[in-house]
Amino acid sequence: MFTLLFIAMCFSMVVAFFLIRRLQEKPWTQHGILEGTHDKDGLTSSAPKVGLWAFLGVVTSVFLVFIGAYFMRLDNSHGGISAGQMQGWVPLDEPGILWINTIALILASIAIQLAHGFSSSPDGRTKMRRYFNAAGLLTMAFLVGQVFAWREIYATGNFNVASPAFAFFVLLTTVHGLHLIGGLVAWSRAAARIRHGLEQAELQEVAALRQSVALCATYWHYLLMIWIVLFAILLST
Amino acid sequence: MAYVAIADRDHEQHAHDPETFITKYVWSQDHKVIAIQYGGLAIAMGVIALVLSLFMRLQIGFPGTFDITPYEYYQYVTMHGMIMVVYLLTALFLGGFGNYLIPLMVGSRDMVFPFMNMLSVWVFLLSCIILGISFFVPGGPTGAGWTLYPPQAILEGTPGVDWGILLMLLSLAVFIVAFTMGGLNYVTTVLQARCRGMTLMRMPLSVWGIFVATILGLLAFPALLVAAIMMLLDRTLDTSFFMPSLLSMGEALDTEGGSPILFQHLFWFFGHPEVYIVALPAFGLVSDLLSTHARKNIFGYRMMVWAIIAIGALSFVVWAHHMYVSGMNPYFGFFFATTTLIIAVPTAIKVYNWVLTLWRGDLHFTLPMLWATGFIFTFVHGGLTGLFLGNVTVDLPLSDTYFVIGHFHMVMGVSPVMVLFGAIYHWFPKMTGKMPNMTLGTIHFWMTFLGTYAIYLPMHYIGILGMPRRYYAYGDTDFIPASATSVNEAITIAAIFVAVAQVVFFINIFYSMYKGKASGGNPWRSASLEWQTPDTPPKHGNWGAELPEVHRWPYDYSVPGDDEDFIPQNHPIKPGESSVGS
Repeated sequence: MFTLLFIAMCFSMVVAFFLIRRLQEKPWTQHGILEGTHDKDGLTSSAPKVGLWAFLGVVTSVFLVFIGAYFMRLDNSHGGISAGQMQGWVPLDEPGILWINTIALILASIAIQLAHGFSSSPDGRTKMRRYFNAAGLLTMAFLVGQVFAWREIYATGNFNVASPAFAFFVLLTTVHGLHLIGGLVAWSRAAARIRHGLEQAELQEVAALRQSVALCATYWHYLLMIWIVLFAILLST
Repeated sequence: MAYVAIADRDHEQHAHDPETFITKYVWSQDHKVIAIQYGGLAIAMGVIALVLSLFMRLQIGFPGTFDITPYEYYQYVTMHGMIMVVYLLTALFLGGFGNYLIPLMVGSRDMVFPFMNMLSVWVFLLSCIILGISFFVPGGPTGAGWTLYPPQAILEGTPGVDWGILLMLLSLAVFIVAFTMGGLNYVTTVLQARCRGMTLMRMPLSVWGIFVATILGLLAFPALLVAAIMMLLDRTLDTSFFMPSLLSMGEALDTEGGSPILFQHLFWFFGHPEVYIVALPAFGLVSDLLSTHARKNIFGYRMMVWAIIAIGALSFVVWAHHMYVSGMNPYFGFFFATTTLIIAVPTAIKVYNWVLTLWRGDLHFTLPMLWATGFIFTFVHGGLTGLFLGNVTVDLPLSDTYFVIGHFHMVMGVSPVMVLFGAIYHWFPKMTGKMPNMTLGTIHFWMTFLGTYAIYLPMHYIGILGMPRRYYAYGDTDFIPASATSVNEAITIAAIFVAVAQVVFFINIFYSMYKGKASGGNPWRSASLEWQTPDTPPKHGNWGAELPEVHRWPYDYSVPGDDEDFIPQNHPIKPGESSVGS
């Protein structure tokens, strides 16, 4: 209950803070073009970037609500009359492979950041391509690793779908994995474009590529961050 | 750096020029066509929900006469509620009006991601089809009530437990995907594709309402998505997210320890913002209608914008007022009652401002104006009963009675629909180039306005008598007098009357589309940008060769000393007019 309330407060503040600065204008007294007040002064610089951040807002909302539900289910009281018992909650032994997976995802994030760095220098393009491909492969390794983590739990015989710790583990890792798979779709399209684009090396094409890589990098860092939060929560409960 | 609107870049502009019939009207990426597809589909869903409500009313008004089983009754109730709230109102306000108005009102050629916009409407169609299929599967659609509370929603004995509930949850999930694709477009277009001179504070309130409602939707729908996914797993894989240990049909289930209340929190964490996802666009649209047809600038524009944002922010911290009877800690009840009453402040500011806009205005009782003033009545009415229900102590005895039905239908059923009809009549000339028929529209208005009052006003009385909602039949119940039964009969007759009135609307639309008078580009002499397009209906790309430039706010009506009684937003400064910063 408190978790959900806290999440709600955060939402409200983000929404208010985002807009507050621009709402001081008195449009009925001011005529003319108002050049300086146009929207180019904020953190926005391009539509795809704004679109991505709006999407990340949605993603954040999904995971915050999951986390809220997780804690409310863990502490099955949430302000109600029932006592704070943890009915049916058997803590899960998180498999060790998750640490390796986490490292793979961190490396993927580093690789994609390097690819982004090399994308701005004309002679770094081959390196960009290499690092970009590496990021995708590392992410796939992460996903395969997650499947192994499930198998490991399954092998211990603790496999009981009615156990919320297990169900939440599978659910959260799946939802996170699906977001990564979505990212991989964008990644594969960008990777294909890099293959073709570098041969043509037209100016406009290169600029578009750079943007794709930058957007992928943002998305990857964000999903890494979400995974670290999820992993910390799973480990601590 | 020279400013180039995103949608004005060459490759953006020509990338999706329609060529064939298919690309122009079916797989169209033009926001106006998408808007009409969204709107048409939403209205079709609304008609289904309207018919379902009639079946439901026939059973309540004349129990046993029409061969409606309890199973069917609950299915009608459930599907009516869910379709009206999500598939009609949300889709029509945001998918329909959002799509049509945002690019035209902010001076853009289209949405910034037209392909995703097209996907949005087709995925919405998919969600409607999935929901539609549930009428034809064994067991029929779910009858769990529109709130779908577990455990009852997924236990034997509830209608549609086999397939209906699965399809409902799946359809909602698909709808959320569709909404997200559309919503990202609306937000990004408002932030990134405004034409030169169009600052945020020069946007019409319609855009403000739709913009903030979209942000609410993007943040709130995930809660429904999460709840739907978890319930799907509870239903299919026997997980225990929401399912406690219980007996069903005399047998113990495998589930244990799940929390039904958790679902309620998740549902209403979406459900309450959803009220404002519907209401905020209505607030915005009605502000523009009132200002235009009263020939007066909107009273307190800046306050109106702040109120929209304040309502949007507050709407995330009031959800548990739907759950006062769930055994909540009394301190939480106190907290949520307080936030609920606080939200009445910005809402009341808006109502006062609408009334003050009308005060000493040059009122033209055109069709849109009739509906807009009708809205003020129904909204004040529904809003005031909300104050009753927002208080825990008053809510407890009224909970689950017809008072609640009367309240929420007035505030988020009739009121938004009033605005929808007003807005359809208002922008109909822009969409078709024809004027709607005044006589038919006036008949439609009075039948609907008086008819809905005849339906919902008496509900408050039978609610105060304690008549519970969701009952299939009341039988001989001591505390329900015979007069309440007569009232129920009258309500049913009024409901049929209102349903018939909607036929007049469709006749008007089709008649006016073909035989209506030509409207010209700006029949209401409106100052906002969408009326200044070179063509009516606007062609693909909206603005011809050059994007408009905006020099003023959208409410320059009856400006003292000016010859015309309105100055369009794209008209440059006139000699003697104060300029920037004065």
